[in-house]
Amino acid sequence: MIAEVGAFALILSLALSLAQAVLSYAARVRRSAVLAGAGEGAAIAAFLGVAAAFAALMYAFVVSDFSVANVAMNSHTEKPLLYRIAGTWGNHEGSMLLWCLALTGFGASVAGLGRTLPQGLRTLTVGTQGVLGTVFLAYTVFASNPLARVAQPPVEGRSLNPLLQDPALAVHPPFLYAGYVGMSVVFSLAVAALIEGRVDAAWSRWVRPWTLAAWSLLTVGITLGSFWAYYELGWGGWWFWDPVENASFMPWLVATALLHSAIVTEKRGALAGWTVFLALAAFSFSMLGGFLVRSGVLTSVHAFAVDPTRGVLLLIILGVTAGLGFSLFAWRAPTLGRGGMFAPVSRESALVLNNILLAAATATVLLGTLYPLIREAMSGEAISVGPPYFNLTFTPLMAALLVLLPIGPLLAWKRGDGATALRRLAVAAAVAVVLTLLVGVLVTPRHTWGALGVGLGGWLIAGALAEILERTRVFRVPPAEAWRRFTGLPRGAWGMTLAHLGLGVFVLGAVFETSWKLEAAEALPVGRAIEVGGYSVRLAAVEPVNGPNYDADRGTIVVTRAGQPVCQVTPERRFYTAGGQTTSEVGLCYRGLSHLYLVLGERREGGTYLVRAYWNPWASLIFVGPAIMAAGGLVSLSDRRLRLAAGRRRREQEA
Amino acid sequence: MLLFWVVAGVLAAAAAGLILMRAAGAADAAAAADPAPVLYRRQLAEIGDLVERGLMGEGERKGAEAEAARRLLAATDAPTAPWTADPKSRGVLLAVVCAAPALALGLYLQLGAPGFGDQPFARRLAEWKASDLRTLPPPELAAVLREATAKRPNEAQGFRFLGMVENAAGNPAGAVSALRRATVLEPGDVDTWRQLGEAQVIAAGGKVEADAQATFRQVLALAPGDAGARFYLARAKAEAGQASQAAAELQALIADLPAGDARRAYVETELARLQGRPAAAADPQQLAMIRGMVDGLAARLKADPENPEGWVRLVRAYAVLGDAGKRDEAYAAARAKYAGQPAVLKQLDEAARAEQMR
Repeated sequence: MIAEVGAFALILSLALSLAQAVLSYAARVRRSAVLAGAGEGAAIAAFLGVAAAFAALMYAFVVSDFSVANVAMNSHTEKPLLYRIAGTWGNHEGSMLLWCLALTGFGASVAGLGRTLPQGLRTLTVGTQGVLGTVFLAYTVFASNPLARVAQPPVEGRSLNPLLQDPALAVHPPFLYAGYVGMSVVFSLAVAALIEGRVDAAWSRWVRPWTLAAWSLLTVGITLGSFWAYYELGWGGWWFWDPVENASFMPWLVATALLHSAIVTEKRGALAGWTVFLALAAFSFSMLGGFLVRSGVLTSVHAFAVDPTRGVLLLIILGVTAGLGFSLFAWRAPTLGRGGMFAPVSRESALVLNNILLAAATATVLLGTLYPLIREAMSGEAISVGPPYFNLTFTPLMAALLVLLPIGPLLAWKRGDGATALRRLAVAAAVAVVLTLLVGVLVTPRHTWGALGVGLGGWLIAGALAEILERTRVFRVPPAEAWRRFTGLPRGAWGMTLAHLGLGVFVLGAVFETSWKLEAAEALPVGRAIEVGGYSVRLAAVEPVNGPNYDADRGTIVVTRAGQPVCQVTPERRFYTAGGQTTSEVGLCYRGLSHLYLVLGERREGGTYLVRAYWNPWASLIFVGPAIMAAGGLVSLSDRRLRLAAGRRRREQEA
Repeated sequence: MLLFWVVAGVLAAAAAGLILMRAAGAADAAAAADPAPVLYRRQLAEIGDLVERGLMGEGERKGAEAEAARRLLAATDAPTAPWTADPKSRGVLLAVVCAAPALALGLYLQLGAPGFGDQPFARRLAEWKASDLRTLPPPELAAVLREATAKRPNEAQGFRFLGMVENAAGNPAGAVSALRRATVLEPGDVDTWRQLGEAQVIAAGGKVEADAQATFRQVLALAPGDAGARFYLARAKAEAGQASQAAAELQALIADLPAGDARRAYVETELARLQGRPAAAADPQQLAMIRGMVDGLAARLKADPENPEGWVRLVRAYAVLGDAGKRDEAYAAARAKYAGQPAVLKQLDEAARAEQMR
C-alpha cells in the first residue's frame, strides 16, 4: 500500500504544482493577497507530497519491494543498507524524483521564508516555481514514473552499478541536485522581476542568499563527485573534462559570475540586465546538465537513461522554459534602469572583468562539451575534445582571472586607485615571487609552468589575507582597535575571504598534483616491490575476501621509505556477482598533504598482479580548497544583512 | 484497499486544508508594507562604513549618498497598487481547491494500480520458505538457500547445494560464488571443485578461462587423471590456439575412457569438431526419440495453439531435423497466427533459419 500511496502523493503534487502556478498568477492579476497565500499553501503542500512519494520509494528500496519496477531494475537484496537507500536516486526515475523534491522544496522555501520579499515579486516567484514544478513533475509522472509497478515481481533485483556503491557517491547527487535546482529560485526571481519591471538593487540583494545557497551546495556536490572519481575509478586523476563533469561545472561558473555581478547591482544599481541574464542562464545550464546526462547522447556512468524519447522530451522542456525566460528578458530588458556610473579602475570594473572572464570560460567549456556531440550528430563521426583543448582555452582565461582576483576587493567603489591597491598587495606579490622561485629551483624535475602556478596559488592566498589585514588595519592601529575592526567585519566579508582563500588552496593542490605526479605500474608477484617517488611499494599478500554482494581479491601493500615502514593499505579488486562487473577499491596512503594512490589490478599469468602506484603530491588540497570555498558561501549566507527581517527587528531593539 | 483510499483522501484533504489555511492567513496580513525602502535605508547607512574601511573615498561619499537617497526616495514614492483581501477571489480559490484533488484522482486512476499491495522481499521469502520446497522454481529456491547459507556460513553442503540451484536458476555468477565458498570450507572435496570449474565455464559463456583452468588443475591434483578436468583443460588449449596439442590430449583421454563410458561420444564429438571433421551421425534410435517428441509437440499445439513459445520451438525443431516441408508449414501457420506480434515473428524467423543437424 505504501508504494501506491507514494504514487498517489506524486500525482497529487503534480496537481498541486499546477494549482500553485494558477493561484499565484491569478493573485498577481487581481492583486489578491488571499490567492497569493493560497498559492504559497499549494507550494508547501506540493513539496510535502513529493517528500511522501520520495519516502515511499526509499521504503521500497530499503525493503527490496521488487513489485516496484524501479527497485527491481536497480536494487538487490544483498546490497548494504546505505546503498539500498542511495539506490533511490542512483537511477533515472529516482533521480528525477529527487530533482522534483529539490524543486518543490525550494518553492516551499520561497513560500515559507520569502516574507521579506515585496508581495508582487514573491507571488510571481512562487508562481514561476509552480510552472517549473508542473513541467518537471509531469515529465516524471508521465515519462519516468519511479513508482510504476510490475505484476510479476522478479525474485531478485538487477542491482545498482557497483561504481555507484560508494559513500561519496551516495551523498554526491543530493548535494548536486540541491545546487542545480537551487538555481531555479534565481530563475523564478528573474522572471518575476522582469514581469514586475523591477530589477533593482533591492532585487539583487534578495537574489543573493538563494544564489549563495545553491552555489555552496553545487560546490560541495561537484567536489564530492570529483573526489569519488579520484578514488573510485582508479585512474589516478580527479577531473577528466568529461561532458558530465562539464555539465555540472557550467552552472557553477555562471553562478559564480552571478554572485559577483549581483554585488554590483546591489551596491550601485548597475549591470541589472546582465545580472538578470545570468540568473536565467544559471538554471538553463542546470537543465542542460540534466538533459545531457539523461538523453543517452553520452556514454558514462551517469548516463542512466539511454532513451532518446525521454531525452527529446527533456530537450523540449529545456528549450521551452529557457526560451520563455530569455524571450521575456529580450522584451523587458530595454526598460531596465542603467544604474550608477563608475570609472574604468573601480570595484565595479573589476567585477565586470571577472564576469567577462567567467562568461568566456563558460563559453569555452560549452563549446568543448557540445561541439563533439553536435558533430557526431551531423556527420556520425566521433571526435573527442579532451584536456589539450581545455588547457589551451580554459586555463589561460582562468589564469588571467586569478592574477587579477586579489586586486578587485582592494579597489574602491565608483573610482578606485590602482596604484594604492597594488602597493597594498606588495607583500602578497613578494610571497608569490618567492614561492615561484623556491619551487622552480628546489622541486625536481624543473617545471616552469608548475612553478608559476604554485606562485599563483600563493598570490591568491596571500592576497586574500592582505585584504583582511587591510580591512582590520592590523599593525597600523592599536591592537584593541584592530580587534574591534576584526570582530566587526560582516560575515559576508569573511565569506568572500574564505572563498578566495579556498580557491588559492585549490590552485596550489591542482597545479602541484598535475605538474609533479609520478606513476609506476608493473605486474608483481606477491612479495616484490616497485618504486615510486622514493617510496617502496611491496605487494605483501593477496587473499580472497567475500563482501556482502561481491567477491574480491584484497591485496596487502606495505609502503616503506628508506627501509622505514610508512603505511599499509589494502586495495581491492571486486567482482560484483549480481551484475557481473569488476571494480577497484583504491588504497590511499596519506603523507601530509600528498597521497600514495595504490591500485590492485587483474591477476596475470604466472600468479602476478598488476599493481599501479601513483604519487600525487599535495592532492588533499584539491578537495580541501573547494570545501573552504563552500564554507565561505555558508558563512556569507549567515550574514544578518541578508536576513532583512532580522536586521529590522534588531534595529527596532536598538532604537 | 479501503485503507488506501482513506489515506489518499486524508492526503488530498490535508493539501486542500493547507491551501485554505495559508489563504486565510494571507488575508489578515494583506496590507504589509513594501520591504524595499528598509533595505535602501540600511544601504544608505552602510556608506559611512564603506568610507571608514577605505573602500570608498571621502570625495565619492557625497555622490554615493545622493545616489542611495535617490533610490530610497524612488522606492518610497513608487506608486504601489495595494494588495487586498479581495473577497471575490473566494470563488477562484474554491474552484482550484476542489479541482486539484479531482485532477489527481483522475490521473491516478489512469496511471496507478490502486489496491496493489506492497511486496517486501522479507515477506515473499517467508512465503517461499513456508511452501513446499520441492515445487519451488529454482530462482525462488536459490533465494531461500542464500538466506540459509548466510545464517550458516561454515557449512559447505549448503553452499554446494546453492551452487547447483543457482546454476539451474540461470545465475552462473552466483553459482561460482557459492561453489567457491564451498571449496574454501572443504578444500578436499573434488566434486565441488569440478562443479565450480563447470560453473566458471558457464559463467564465461562456454570459454575455459584462467580461473576455470586453475580450478580444473586443482581437480587433477586431488583426483589425478580426472576425465572432466582433462577434457576442459584440453578445450582451454584449443581456445588458446594450440589445436594439435588439444587434439592429442583428447585422443589420450578417449584411449583412457572405458569402451562403454557415455562420455566417450561427447569427447569424440569435440575432437571431431576440433579437427574439422563432421561429427559421427546421430544415433538412429536417438533420432527416432527426438522425432517422437517433436510430433508430440505438434499434436499439443494443434489441440492448444495459444502457445507462441511452443510454435517457435516447433519451427526450430523441424529446421534442425532438416524437415524443410514441415518447417515451412509450421512457420507459415505460426506467422499467420502471430502477425500482430513482431517479437514473436522475429523469434520465428530466427528459428526457421536454424542450421540443420548433421
